[in-house]
Amino acid sequence: MSARPRSAAQLDARALARARLEAMRRRTRRIRRSVAGLAVALFVASFAVVYVQLASGHDPALVANARKRAAAASAASSSGSSSSSAAGESTTGESGSSGESSSSGESASAGESSSSRNGESSTGASAVTTSQS
Amino acid sequence: MSGRGEAIEELDCFGSRCAALVIGCGRAGTAGQAAALARRTLLVWHRRYSRFLPDSELSRLNADPRETVPVRPLMARLAQAVRDAGLLSGGLVDGTLVEAIERAGYGEDLRGPALPLASALELAPPRRAAGAAAAKRWREIDVDPRAGTITRPPGVMLDSGGLAKGLFADVLGEMLATHASFAINCAGDLLVGGAARIRREIRVESPFDASTLHTFELSHTGVATSGIGRRSWLDRHGGPAHHLLDPSTGRPAFTGVVQVTALAPSALDAEIRAKAALLSGPQAAPGWLAHGGVIVFDDGSHRLVQPPPAAQPPPVVTLGQLLPHVRLRAAAQEADVATGALAA
Repeated sequence: MSARPRSAAQLDARALARARLEAMRRRTRRIRRSVAGLAVALFVASFAVVYVQLASGHDPALVANARKRAAAASAASSSGSSSSSAAGESTTGESGSSGESSSSGESASAGESSSSRNGESSTGASAVTTSQS
Repeated sequence: MSGRGEAIEELDCFGSRCAALVIGCGRAGTAGQAAALARRTLLVWHRRYSRFLPDSELSRLNADPRETVPVRPLMARLAQAVRDAGLLSGGLVDGTLVEAIERAGYGEDLRGPALPLASALELAPPRRAAGAAAAKRWREIDVDPRAGTITRPPGVMLDSGGLAKGLFADVLGEMLATHASFAINCAGDLLVGGAARIRREIRVESPFDASTLHTFELSHTGVATSGIGRRSWLDRHGGPAHHLLDPSTGRPAFTGVVQVTALAPSALDAEIRAKAALLSGPQAAPGWLAHGGVIVFDDGSHRLVQPPPAAQPPPVVTLGQLLPHVRLRAAAQEADVATGALAA
């Protein structure tokens, strides 16, 4: 059985339909590409932010823990007997104080001990001793 | 592990005591893993860079008859440090005086008790500032880090000494930079640092009675102490001797300064400054302590040079900090000990 011959109008309508379908598909592809690209860009950007934050050593969880430990150690030492820290100086808080305060300037002394400190977060770490090797 | 969550490893190394103190997790794992890594690394480096072990890489390099010798990256850095120390100190800090120090009686690890400092000072010759050697053999050292070679005339030998300890503290510091806080003590040369900027007490010990002369509280710094009290002995003529030589004479230096503690951005820098200050004598010593320090004189008195307010580094993120895994892997490969620990 042979197909019925189609009129010119029918052929035009089919071509038009195909063209419309193709246009719709192109649009779909474009939207899909845009959405995928945007998602990848968003992921890369957020990954980079987190990576830089962690890799530069500014892990918020670690810093928070260190601060808690430091605050606890500070509270423990201040509630106990007198320590070697300078009197009247806060031993908690992040850096931000203006430079350094010290118990003595450049000085000459014989047989007396002294101390100096700078404005950083409080100590939660063991002391270390430097001596000639 | 201390009560504050700080992992501490202490060990005998480089003929003295070394320690690694770490708080918090970081690229080297937990605090305990990081401290253990530092311990293993120090022990490996001791075997590799000791002048007293005949099969160490340093001994083999010093005995090598070739002019250009392939070396590991850390050995290349040590050779570069010897050259830099000579340049920066005008030849006062000379890491090529191996023959002179062996002639002075320091040819092997000192095991016995040291000559008491007070006795050594009584017997010592008149005080004079040290000077550079005429030969300045450190200038003949050429390092090619890309090729991994050291070129020097055969016979020019490197002394690992204090420069190596400062360098090792700095390299370990690079490995531990992402932990909340750390302190590396390489036989008196310290590096203190960490991401959380936690302040740490640094006590300076007196060479006379081991009392604390001064306490610094810093979060990021290199510290080195050089002195003539601990590694001292009587030479074959009955004269006092120690390991800090006057490069101009090749004899132990008695300058009127018995110990200097220097602060600096790195432990290696601090080591160079401390030695240069001690060798340059009481008048010139403070000039070497641009970042602060403590000078102890013959009579037991001491002088404090306060660190300047800008001694603390600003919280700037460097490219090296952004790629800690690269730096850590390089250091671990250099140590040949860390890779397994990190994987675990």
